[in-house]
Amino acid sequence: MPGRNAALYLSLGVVLVYCAVALFAPVIAPFDPFVISGPPLAPPDAAHLLGTNDLAQDIFSRLIWGTRATLILGFLGAVVSVVMGTTVGIVAGYYGGRIDEAVMRFLDVMMTIPFFPLLLVLTIFLRPGIYVTAVIMGLLGGLGSVRIIRSQVLSLAVADFVVGTKALGARDGYIMARHILPNVLPLVGVKFVTSAQHFMLVGIGLGFLGMGDPNVVDWGQMIERASKNGGIVLGLWWWLIPPGLAVTGISLALAWFAYACEERINPRFQVMRV
Amino acid sequence: MGDALLCVRGLKVGFPTVDGVVKASNAVDLTIQAGETLALLGETGSGKTVLGMAILRLLQPNTRIEGEILYRGRDLLSLPQEEMQKIRGREIAVVLQNSGTSLNPVLRVGDQIAEAITLHRGLKGAEAEAAAVELLERVRIADPARMAREYPHRFSGGMRERALIALALACSPSFLIADEPTRGLDAVTKHEILALFSEINRGRSVLFITHDIEAAATLATRVAVMYAGEIVEIGPVDAVLSSPAHPYTRGLLESLPARGMRPIPGSAPSLIAPPSGCRFFPRCPCSVGRCETEHPGLVPVGPGHCARCMLYD
Amino acid sequence: MIDVCDLKTYYSTGFLCRTEVRAVDGVSFGIKKGETLGLVGESGCGKTTLGRSLLRLIEPTGGRVVFDGTNITALSRKDLRRFRPRMQMIFQDAYASLNPRMRVRESITEPLRIHGLEDRAGIGRRVRELIEMVGLNEEHLNRRPYELSGGQNQRVVLARVLALEPEFIVADEPTAGLDVSVQAQILTLFRDLGRDYHTACLYISHDLGVVRAMSDRVAVMLKGRIVEIGPTADVLDRPCHSYTRRLVAASSADRGFSRPAPCPALPGSPVMVEVQSGHWVEAAAR
Repeated sequence: MPGRNAALYLSLGVVLVYCAVALFAPVIAPFDPFVISGPPLAPPDAAHLLGTNDLAQDIFSRLIWGTRATLILGFLGAVVSVVMGTTVGIVAGYYGGRIDEAVMRFLDVMMTIPFFPLLLVLTIFLRPGIYVTAVIMGLLGGLGSVRIIRSQVLSLAVADFVVGTKALGARDGYIMARHILPNVLPLVGVKFVTSAQHFMLVGIGLGFLGMGDPNVVDWGQMIERASKNGGIVLGLWWWLIPPGLAVTGISLALAWFAYACEERINPRFQVMRV
Repeated sequence: MGDALLCVRGLKVGFPTVDGVVKASNAVDLTIQAGETLALLGETGSGKTVLGMAILRLLQPNTRIEGEILYRGRDLLSLPQEEMQKIRGREIAVVLQNSGTSLNPVLRVGDQIAEAITLHRGLKGAEAEAAAVELLERVRIADPARMAREYPHRFSGGMRERALIALALACSPSFLIADEPTRGLDAVTKHEILALFSEINRGRSVLFITHDIEAAATLATRVAVMYAGEIVEIGPVDAVLSSPAHPYTRGLLESLPARGMRPIPGSAPSLIAPPSGCRFFPRCPCSVGRCETEHPGLVPVGPGHCARCMLYD
Repeated sequence: MIDVCDLKTYYSTGFLCRTEVRAVDGVSFGIKKGETLGLVGESGCGKTTLGRSLLRLIEPTGGRVVFDGTNITALSRKDLRRFRPRMQMIFQDAYASLNPRMRVRESITEPLRIHGLEDRAGIGRRVRELIEMVGLNEEHLNRRPYELSGGQNQRVVLARVLALEPEFIVADEPTAGLDVSVQAQILTLFRDLGRDYHTACLYISHDLGVVRAMSDRVAVMLKGRIVEIGPTADVLDRPCHSYTRRLVAASSADRGFSRPAPCPALPGSPVMVEVQSGHWVEAAAR
């Protein structure tokens, strides 16, 4: 199906562009995002492509540097979340019994606490930097993946090929790594992309509520500044709209990518298509 | 013999795929008389199920179908959809393979049968339910009134098969197609299901699709053996099973553990590009030179007994 | 070779009210080296559970399984793992017993690598040897399970299991879903290879015809217990237990087997009684 393939490549391309921008931010951005680079609240011109804010910082440079923060929050959070979710999910599902029971009861308790308020409380108390924020988000958000992965592992653990490999005398660790993990990887991959998208939005939310790391620029804090310090009242679109568009772009691209992957990764889907 | 109830002429069925057209049925001719049970015997991929589904017009819409299927003189392949809908279930019913998905798991068994009764006989509510219980009793399900209120997962494999038979009998069809009704059942249960079939088959025409030679021998009056989309041998059950004419039928019978368990070498050919001459030629122990190039026709080898083989040409 | 003594495997099922299911309820028998014992019974009688309990793929609740002088039921996890290659299992569904993401080559190499048997070149040679032994060729090594037919997959499973040259194999209806002609191919292959390797085998099936062709002795299982056991011809031609009689009657109706001969009357105590040399019947149920 060409439509699905196009969606896959297009979304992948967009994500890669964002990554490149984040990586080469120092090269691309014309100014240091924190220094005074001209008159405050200037409209876009040749030097300042998107004008300046109330502190006379270059908005375009801040947008470029902000990509870094957002991607770090999203992808680092997703890595933590997926690694935790997969490991705990596989171990719980494979061994079952008491280990599984303990993990599940712990999850039951944790799942009753709403994710975002808990995150807010933790950030207020710990005042974490961006990396710690990402790890906290990953750990909290990964609880949901534990459940999903574990339920798939439950059926894999009693599959004949797993029992058969056990009969060959393989160690449990080997079976989990060689037989269970590859069969949950498609799910893990899709989960990675969707949680990255989710965590980026959460990160923006944190920034917007003033809980962001003050030492980095992020789009949430940019939007917050714009809305609080007169961006909306004065109708300064170049201050407010660009970070919003940037968020929407990456978020849509990731959602598409997850969709397109879901079908591609599973070998059995390919057979069915014939 | 009575009149021909169903007459299949030159039926060709092809499934277009990425790799080419799978020719699942190649010019099949078949006649079923009123009141007889014809067993269609074949292995996986021989095209036997496709033939059954073609009669009911339940194949995928992109399937290529050629030929005629005459039921009481009317060509089923050219009937409009609504007409076909009326024939399906009311005149021709099907007993599906007991695969665990052939009954809806979230509906009570009795309700599923009552639904079919309402659809075809117009009975409603309590009347339909009573009729459903009656049917369950007829297929010898113990305590039918209670079991009608149970869900399919409470039924064992054998009982589910019985429920499927009851479902097919819901509107007393005159022609029954049974598709592998004994697959996956253990010996004792299979025996009971076959006994039930031989009872309900009385006075009805049946196309019994199976891979099980024993089942065919128990139920059928005539047997048609299919190989690679063709009927390779057809005749009275005793003649075919005791003195098989086609080398494939012979090989099949000798594969049975009770008859020596001598396997046929090789495997069934691809239906995308089947062998050009006789389709069994590459595996045949008694092939002659022209088997490779000439396609054999069905030739008579005994009373009502034909085989598709050069040996009798 | 294998001595099973009073083996029991119980499950508890049910969500609210837990009920105990006695899947295997006090089973004893022995299998000699190179011998095949057929195990017959209807679905749900506990034959699969018994097969898996023997290899401790399901932990038995009680009883003993002694394999070549070692009590398997008392082994630690680590010792058991070292013991595993000597006893193997073949499942009913060949497709499900192969990892869908692994190529045939990896599936066959795996047992060799797990036990660190040979160097790289040696493994390659052995894999080619095995694949040819089960009647496939090198071209199949690069395929995945869904690209092969049921019979071919079962051949791959055979190669994988035989890679370690086990002394005992539990075969759980390995041909249940296969066509008659393919079944004959797999069964003859299995029988010949078993003979070559002198393997002891527990052959589980509900098809008496297959069991008759494959086994030296037959055990009949009913509701978790063995109700009759003895030499194949004795048990299937002169069945004594009422259940065995029903089983034989159901499957020999149109094969022209001799009708079961009458059996001597037995005293009604709940024990196994020897009606002929080596042919035991549970007497209470008669």
